[in-house]
Amino acid sequence: MPKIKVPKKSPSLDMTPMVDLAFLLVTFFMLTTKFRPTEPVTVDQPSSVSEVPLPDKGVILLTVDAKGRVFFNIEGQQLRADILDRLATRFNLTFTDQEKKQFTLLTSIGMPSNKLKEYLNAESPEQKIMNEETKGIPIDSANNELTFWVNAARNAAPTNSIAINGDGDADIPTIKRVIEILQNNKANRFALITNLESSETAEE
Amino acid sequence: MAEVQQQDSGSGKGKHSKVRAKKASTHIDMTPMVDLAFLLLTFFILTTTLSKPRTMDITMPVKDDIKEEDRSKVPASQTLSILLTENDKIIWYMGVDNPETPPETNVADFSASGPNSVHKMLLEKNKIVLDLVKMVEDSVRAGLIPNKPEEIKQHKAAVKAAEKKGLIVLIKPDEKAKYRNLVDILDEMLVTNVARYAIVDLSESEKELILNAK
Repeated sequence: MPKIKVPKKSPSLDMTPMVDLAFLLVTFFMLTTKFRPTEPVTVDQPSSVSEVPLPDKGVILLTVDAKGRVFFNIEGQQLRADILDRLATRFNLTFTDQEKKQFTLLTSIGMPSNKLKEYLNAESPEQKIMNEETKGIPIDSANNELTFWVNAARNAAPTNSIAINGDGDADIPTIKRVIEILQNNKANRFALITNLESSETAEE
Repeated sequence: MAEVQQQDSGSGKGKHSKVRAKKASTHIDMTPMVDLAFLLLTFFILTTTLSKPRTMDITMPVKDDIKEEDRSKVPASQTLSILLTENDKIIWYMGVDNPETPPETNVADFSASGPNSVHKMLLEKNKIVLDLVKMVEDSVRAGLIPNKPEEIKQHKAAVKAAEKKGLIVLIKPDEKAKYRNLVDILDEMLVTNVARYAIVDLSESEKELILNAK
């Protein structure tokens, strides 16, 4: 019986289409990825069915973490410098150019005014420790610094919208107090940041 | 000239004898490149967060001293108070809170279904509005309502009017409630088409109610 000869094939494949595809995907992900600097606090937002996305720009962000500490954040270096200038006069502080530069490059700030200078001069590992230990921006009526922050931000960026980024475990009195401070600053419309809920409560 | 020709022909003949650069294959081993491409691909896929955070807009009333006579009166039969307390518990009652005659309270939870589901309760209480919204939506889908701006406007106005007859919800979180509860109940307002709701402080008599309900 004659043997059927299987033609010997070379084990090497033409990988060009695969490379094309891989680089196409790499390009896509590279262009869509936005690198965010790490936030000093992690917040686990509650979920909701609301589908309104958070705008990319122009948001005054007030973060309330699970322990009820309040952090302030706004994007834009020019704006941040402006806000720091306004705060400096409020708190009777003077900031060096170096400190101002540092402030524009940071993200959320949760320091009382007396620690702010120290925080801006600290190295990044020390800042991490300070963020762990801080009590956040003071919100109690005796020492209400958050209202200065909100006021400065509202004056520096009147068109920015306000968003509260609260942890699901944050307590109601803190949240209510933050809302009250916003109301006192004539900011009656704001957004609560949530996660998109999986369709567990979807009904009908 | 002859020499040149000779040379030419000589070079032509000597093709095989001359040392020539080896013809390199056009195929390159692309495995390392593929490795690199996929490594980058994996990195970017893992670092990308595609789910953008969502927001829920709320509008609080302007914080000014509103005179008593300027306050809008709400009919008690339409008013539903939802008290949020610790451990995700909800206490609700219809009508207004009156220290002399405490309203009858009910207990509910955040489950989507179940005997005490606040979702089911709200669906039931806001049935007038929900039924109308559903009817309008169904008839649009079935093509009963022509897709004309004025027709749609008319039906929207009808829904708006129905919402005025629908529930008015007062959300009253107490000090032990979590922010999550507040967001959850605001979410329920969206889902169950409650158009009019407000976040209100607890009164003293309602604090009693919570204590008594335990």
